[in-house]
Amino acid sequence: MQCYRDMPEFIAQQMTNLGAEVYYHEFLPQSKHFHPLKFFTSTASSMAVKPNGTYANFGINTIGIIRAPRGDGKEAIVLVTPYNSQRVQSNELLSLALGFSVFSLLSRATWLSKDIVWLSADSQFGEYAAVSAWLNQYHNPMFLSHPVILDTKMYGANKIIYGPDGTTEKADHMSFKRAGTMAAALIFKVGETRKYGDRDSVTMYAEASNGQMPNLDLLNVVHYLAVHRQGFRVNIETFSSLLSSSWLKVIAEVFQNLGSVLRKINPDWKLDVTVPDYVEGTANLANSMYNQALGVPTGSHGAFRDYQVDAVSLEYSPAFHLRNENAKSSFLLRGGRLTEGVVRSVNNLLEKFHQSFFLYFLAAPSKFISVGVYMIPFALLLAPLPVVASALADDSKAKGKSVDDCKTRGDADDLQIRGGSWKWLKSARVLLVIQIWAVLVSLLPYYISQIPSAMAIQYAVIWAVLSIIILIALYAMFGSPYCAGVEWKLLKATMITSITIGLGLMSIINFATAQLGALILIPMCLFSLPLKVQLEMKLLPRTVLLASNILLTVLGFPPAAFLIMKGLSKGSWTLDIGEFWSWMEFLWEWSSATYLYLFLVHLPCWLLCIHVLLHPCHPPESKVKQE
Amino acid sequence: MASGRGGIPGPSRPCRLPLLFLPALLPLLVLLAFSFSPSSAVAAAASPGAMHNNNWAVLVCTSRFWFNYRHMANTLSLYRTVKRLGIPDERIILMLADDMACNPRNNYPAQVFNNENHQLNLYGDNVEVDYRGYEVTVENFLRVLTGRHESAVPRSKRLLSDEGSHILLYMTGHGGDEFLKFQDNEELQSHDLADAVKQMKEKHRFKELLIMVDTCQAATLFSQLHSPGVLAIGSSMKGENSYSHHLDSDIGVSVVDRFTFYTLAFFEKLNMYSNASLNSLFNSYNPSMLLSTAYYRMDLYERPLNEVIVR
Repeated sequence: MQCYRDMPEFIAQQMTNLGAEVYYHEFLPQSKHFHPLKFFTSTASSMAVKPNGTYANFGINTIGIIRAPRGDGKEAIVLVTPYNSQRVQSNELLSLALGFSVFSLLSRATWLSKDIVWLSADSQFGEYAAVSAWLNQYHNPMFLSHPVILDTKMYGANKIIYGPDGTTEKADHMSFKRAGTMAAALIFKVGETRKYGDRDSVTMYAEASNGQMPNLDLLNVVHYLAVHRQGFRVNIETFSSLLSSSWLKVIAEVFQNLGSVLRKINPDWKLDVTVPDYVEGTANLANSMYNQALGVPTGSHGAFRDYQVDAVSLEYSPAFHLRNENAKSSFLLRGGRLTEGVVRSVNNLLEKFHQSFFLYFLAAPSKFISVGVYMIPFALLLAPLPVVASALADDSKAKGKSVDDCKTRGDADDLQIRGGSWKWLKSARVLLVIQIWAVLVSLLPYYISQIPSAMAIQYAVIWAVLSIIILIALYAMFGSPYCAGVEWKLLKATMITSITIGLGLMSIINFATAQLGALILIPMCLFSLPLKVQLEMKLLPRTVLLASNILLTVLGFPPAAFLIMKGLSKGSWTLDIGEFWSWMEFLWEWSSATYLYLFLVHLPCWLLCIHVLLHPCHPPESKVKQE
Repeated sequence: MASGRGGIPGPSRPCRLPLLFLPALLPLLVLLAFSFSPSSAVAAAASPGAMHNNNWAVLVCTSRFWFNYRHMANTLSLYRTVKRLGIPDERIILMLADDMACNPRNNYPAQVFNNENHQLNLYGDNVEVDYRGYEVTVENFLRVLTGRHESAVPRSKRLLSDEGSHILLYMTGHGGDEFLKFQDNEELQSHDLADAVKQMKEKHRFKELLIMVDTCQAATLFSQLHSPGVLAIGSSMKGENSYSHHLDSDIGVSVVDRFTFYTLAFFEKLNMYSNASLNSLFNSYNPSMLLSTAYYRMDLYERPLNEVIVR
């Protein structure tokens, strides 16, 4: 009876007994250092393993591969079960058991046409780190000139297995084996029992980095098999605070009444939605948009998406106690059938999923909003902006011309060079200065984070102080926008042009971020009017405009927006600036494009809005007086 | 198809010359006129004049890939039926992509079923496929029909029919309005088929031709035919789809189409000596079971439909 020292060896032995090819993959977690180029290059393997040192604390993935007996070996389906090898809990054991039972079934299946890879990922450094390290080695192998010397007393290539009849054989467990392109991947794990109910539930996580999603067909397959064949209840992540909010119910009731009225007018207009459907759909949709807008993957399926492999994470929430053996074997049967069904569906395909949508939001596990529908509000918001910008620029050009004509007739060339159609260059210069400032501010954390062992709040304060200093320095060097004689209308026009371009570009990278950003930025920019001009308006519009300006400007400042959001969602209104720093750290760790958007589009626009609001509104006078 | 002879239609009346011509020419002309009429009678009787002496079958499955399992099963089941009812292998041209039986996705390797009960294996040692895999192309199909092959093509791949042949042409796959899709790659248009049939008729390659088509919008495929002696039946009309019969959950795909299923059900009741007629076959199609309207075109066919089926 062999004695196993710990889990990876046990798993490997079981897989070898089935006749699969087995190997170990050792990895170290990648450092979470901020590097500006991380946004633009794919995460090339940062040298986490140094050749001349020994490490005792590394993660070990155990991988088994079943080759399809009659297949051509060009494609593979990947199953992933994460577990923590340092501290294995009973629910993780159950997920490993599920993975192993599916693996042993597939080793005997006659219908396999693609190879099956089972990765039992060691999640002591985090599930994502393990999966992404393995995928990195799979797709971008790193060949070291010096062989890596790790603590390989147990797992070394020279391991000798003592067979039952006393013969010894060498097990080649360290060489990395591959199985072809991955057609699809399924990650499943069993969570802890939260509440005891009648039905086990499965939560699907689909969002990958920067708002990418797997093909909707994969989600449909999983959902259909889980609900209609195996009797699971399928959920997606949702905002529970929205589910119980009363104002949302009021809106839902309004829509329901409107829909029923419309249906009475014309029975073909099926627009009525029931209140629970609407509330649940809104909560799910808000969560889906939020997760996509953050740009951070919601699970290790995000690592697969970076290599264009469709992947989805399933988390089973059992409704039974984990000591109940009957319930466990019934769960293994149903979960195993679900996994086998998904594997067989992908196995029978000839190509990767490509017929369904890649760009969508999920309003329910079986309801989606496709790109053709959700682009429309964004396009409607963005389309009038160039018109507004050109109207403002035209307006200021006309006024400028009339002023110049009145002042003097002499030296017309001089006036036309300083004034006339080239005035927008001044406002473009202001925009350039502010953009440079924004780039510098976004790069500051690279240097700030190198200060060792400081608290988050200290980092945040240093960051704020440094950015203000840099702003003042830039104004001293290039001149403040007010003394350059820039008219507020041109400034506003330039600002609107810059956000059009910025939002347009961002919508291609991560649509949800652009959409949510547009909802705040565009009203803020359109409502901004210099306070001195506002004084000339009547009382009621003036107060409304002032109030909206204040509200939008506060919301537009990223730290303030973050604090408000946190307060609304958690209900705790603490003023902790350090949390903003941790949030930004979170964004750049995951190379999320949202970070770049916040600092290169949102922040400059906000600063320009403040400039427009506080514009002194002098007509261009100094140069004319010199004539 | 049909045995027995039909009636010979009457000869055309010769035109009478006006009597203003010289009476000396009249006897000569009358003699000439009488000499014309038997020849015209012979010309009109050329097609029914030859006796029916052999039967051929051309069975074509135009799709490949695992999810088109049912087309392969359709064709193989019809092949089996046709063989059972008396046509030998050397008179059957079978065109299949043939990638089902040994497909790694097949849970029952080397076996092809057309029914969920898996009672009947349609694939075996005595299935002789003449055009296999990528050889099933529109060009080869038209060459088979018209007989215009390269000199190196062996006899087993040629349709060596003559003017006494009754030919069954069965086609299945994915089709649409006036076309049939060959192997995801090319299409056969209905006027191409009509031209090929017309060439066949001119070269006296058949006496009677029965075309059966089991695809979506099948009736449009033979809408352009205009050669006499052709009878065509399709599984659905223009704008309708043909549906599969049932899904085999063990194999994982649908295993047979509805039209073919009911055709086979009709034929299973027959043997080599039965006398059932085409009329009863056509009447056995029930549109509510087929979920489409089986449509047949008889206007080019000269005899009434109560004749004997292939035998």
